[in-house]
Amino acid sequence: MITPEISWLAILPEVLLAVGAAGVLLVEVQWKPEANVLGTIAAGSIVFAAAFSVLQWFQAGDSVELGTTGDLVVFSGLVLMDGLAIFGRFALLAVTGFGLMAAWKYIDSLGRRSAEAIALVLLATSGFSIMVAANNLVMMFLGLEVGSIALYVLAGMSRERARSDEAAIKYFLLGSFASAIFIYGVALLYAGTGEFEILGIRDFLAGFVVFSPAVILIGLGLVVVGLGFKVSAAPFHSWAPDVYQGAPAGLVGYMAAVAKIAGFVAITRILLAGVETLDADWLPIVAAIAALSMLVGSTLALVQDDVRRMLAYSGVAHAGFILTGVVGGTTEGVLFYLVVYSLQLVGAFAVAAAVSGAENAESSLESFRGLGRRSPFLAGSFTVLLLGMAGLPVTSGFIAKFGVFTQAWNSGFRWLVIVAVLASVIAFAFYLRIIVAMYMDESEAADLDVPATSRWVLIVAVGTTILWGILPGSLLSLAADALPL
Amino acid sequence: MLTWLVLLPVVGALVVMSTPPARRELHLPMGVALSVMPLGLALYVFAVFEPQSAMQLTEFHSWYEPWGIAWNLGIDGISMPMVLLTTILVPIALGASTKVTKRTKEFVVYTLLLEAGMIGVFVALDLFLFFIFFEAILAPMYFIIGIWGSERRVYAAMKFFIYTAFGSALMLAGIIALAVLHNEQVGAPSFALADLSGLALSGGAERWLFAAFALAFAIKVPVFPLHTWLPDAHTEAPTAGSILLAGVMLKLGTYGLLRFNLQLFPEASVDAIWVMGILAVIGIVYGAAVAIVQPDLKKLVAYSSVSHLGFIVLGTFALTSGGLQGAVIQNVNHGLTTGALFLLVGMIYERRHTKEISEFGGLQKVMPVFAGFFLFMIFASIGLPGLNGFVGEFLVLIGSYTTLPVLAIIAASGVILAAIYLLWAYERVFTGVPEKEENKMLSDLSVREVSLLAPLAALVLLLGLYPNILLDKIAPSTEAVLDHIEASTDYQVPAPGRLGDVFVAGGEEE
Repeated sequence: MITPEISWLAILPEVLLAVGAAGVLLVEVQWKPEANVLGTIAAGSIVFAAAFSVLQWFQAGDSVELGTTGDLVVFSGLVLMDGLAIFGRFALLAVTGFGLMAAWKYIDSLGRRSAEAIALVLLATSGFSIMVAANNLVMMFLGLEVGSIALYVLAGMSRERARSDEAAIKYFLLGSFASAIFIYGVALLYAGTGEFEILGIRDFLAGFVVFSPAVILIGLGLVVVGLGFKVSAAPFHSWAPDVYQGAPAGLVGYMAAVAKIAGFVAITRILLAGVETLDADWLPIVAAIAALSMLVGSTLALVQDDVRRMLAYSGVAHAGFILTGVVGGTTEGVLFYLVVYSLQLVGAFAVAAAVSGAENAESSLESFRGLGRRSPFLAGSFTVLLLGMAGLPVTSGFIAKFGVFTQAWNSGFRWLVIVAVLASVIAFAFYLRIIVAMYMDESEAADLDVPATSRWVLIVAVGTTILWGILPGSLLSLAADALPL
Repeated sequence: MLTWLVLLPVVGALVVMSTPPARRELHLPMGVALSVMPLGLALYVFAVFEPQSAMQLTEFHSWYEPWGIAWNLGIDGISMPMVLLTTILVPIALGASTKVTKRTKEFVVYTLLLEAGMIGVFVALDLFLFFIFFEAILAPMYFIIGIWGSERRVYAAMKFFIYTAFGSALMLAGIIALAVLHNEQVGAPSFALADLSGLALSGGAERWLFAAFALAFAIKVPVFPLHTWLPDAHTEAPTAGSILLAGVMLKLGTYGLLRFNLQLFPEASVDAIWVMGILAVIGIVYGAAVAIVQPDLKKLVAYSSVSHLGFIVLGTFALTSGGLQGAVIQNVNHGLTTGALFLLVGMIYERRHTKEISEFGGLQKVMPVFAGFFLFMIFASIGLPGLNGFVGEFLVLIGSYTTLPVLAIIAASGVILAAIYLLWAYERVFTGVPEKEENKMLSDLSVREVSLLAPLAALVLLLGLYPNILLDKIAPSTEAVLDHIEASTDYQVPAPGRLGDVFVAGGEEE
């Protein structure tokens, strides 16, 4: 029996997160400290993991070329530690850190159960972090499941609220269904190519003329459907509104963002790096999913009366926009969009959490009335984030949309770009509805306090939204380096 | 220099933003003072501006090389008057906003940001940069209408935003298409106007792109039948919003048609002269006809804008020297006179809290100074010789007669209709004896209000008597546009249409 080579160093960040999670639980059992102590442990593991990722990025340097063997492909081909993996992991870590900060008031209010929440967050991130680096599809599935299962539990953290239970159950049922579809797709891909590894599948497709690729295509389709569930692309989005509405407000931003980052990095890796030669077959389908997501998301968001549901449908639309970038065929725009949108999402739910309060009440549009007076800081930040999501110029959202539109147009999908620009106009309407409620309606409610941690999250989210809106080059060039195709 | 012109209002906005919100009384004077600085700079630009066709004071900084986007600014005879107009109207609009008592600070901030965006639109030579400014100004305007407007403000603000965003969305697709084409033909993406106007476009592509750009600008102008957002936005907006909306923002559309459609798609523009001309003339007559029956003074002025902007579109697509020059100078004229009319309507609204024409009557007796200014601006708007409106409309009519004679004749009726609705409104509001009790004790204009109106009136008179102060600087640039069209298409301006032809040159001197 061959022992696989073990490169602990390559996956040190994931190990750190897992150790952090275990540490949080053990420390809680032994010393029952304040939540802040546990938070410090979590922060420590995240910061070290992030710092190590930066090191890895520079070490990889120019050699982050796809498919080179050697240091990049570790664990006998299970894991591919290339630029895409490191970029994706860094984004995940950033979102995790900010997500914990945004949800801190809620986590703190959980009392003794706060350790569970923190540990689950760290575990979820380590799972998704492996998923973005997975070269072997089974490895990808393992990462996906580690992450997803942690998220199902997080969705139900507020056990006393019926909505939270409902969210957890729905998320769990539909999510595991999607995972099953994904793994079945992997099996079919294996049947068709004899390979579990993405690079192996690529080499197989390049080396052989496949006369009846039906099995491969069905497998690929199922894999895309499975991942489509995770990123809430239409028509696989039906869980999203309920989960976004029911799960603890502070955590939703984190949950949605990590699932989107991991899902899209995986989609990018499989479609653009693995089966690019079959693009005549998958491009039209992915383009159709993208168009449907943009239209369904934007239109249904219009008729929602709950801000979190609105953000859920806007997330469906954003999944469509990001898929437009995938159709465009380069990773630069996709990665830029992912980072930009994730931060905005975490920021937006930090606002929703502050408005709902720690007891995690409703976030109906009603409760945002007059926010401009009740808390100018919250309302101002939320406005910038909403305009950023809407893609108004001078925000990073515009650059992100512009990037994916250009790529899609460049690869000949003009109809998709037309659909996309029209969907973004529809989307303006519901982002503006929230702004109307905040600034143009009056309310008698008392002034709101913003927790200090949320304040920092919002400063970062708003700051990057404007910074990358004006100087996108810094992030774009990093994204372009991540996976040069 | 131009960078500073764009950034000064932003800096001003930041300064105002950093002041404590409690010092309400400070914000408006600060805003006025800060917005006078860009005006000073714009006057300096006007002074150093050379009457020549090339772009001047250009600046170029690459923004993100792989995408080919750049901070690319420049000014010529078409944009310079617009920049000047913007910087003149902003201090006046702010000065007229003393009745804005809630959230004064934010109001000033939004107005200054709006100014930065509007100047940016006029000086951007990179289509990406242009689009950024073009779209970014929606947000401050949306807030100005939505927060400080009257009863149906939210509806009006939303309608305004969605309409314009819809138009510009398709233009965005058009801009992307151009950049991708440039990438295919030259090997590198570029958004620079100069690069893109040299592209070889197939006839079909050119027509589609023309349509995408024209739609965005036609909504902004607004060209009939895309004008329905305008009366709502104008009526609901606060006075400052109306002044800037009518004075500058509508001009983004006419400016865009002239700058981008004619420059980038000469072939399609030549093909479209009848379509655009007919739509323009429908706008002229329809706007005027609807204005006649308006019971609301502000709506009346709003519909008169639809009519007047029709002249500008007609002049643009007449594709003659007179037409283009008339279009550019009429942009300025309409900004001054309609800005002043909205200012005047705002002043009477502040006193009486109504804009219904039937509520007034005999105001001449109680407010003679107000009535005087009103009549003066009405005459300018109708196009009385000696005042600015005459110069622009005369140039447009004479310019379009050579290429679109039938339309020019119909358009001329717009001048008569303007006289009808404006003078009839004047008659109902000002003449006779004041019958309503409330009207009998209205106070006449204060020194502040006169000082807001006086500069506008002076400019109206100056441009009416000596239009060459601007026309000399406009002409080389509009001639260059015609040269470009003649060089890239079969189109030749019919004989008396160019500046060189004696006829128009004679008409110029009038």
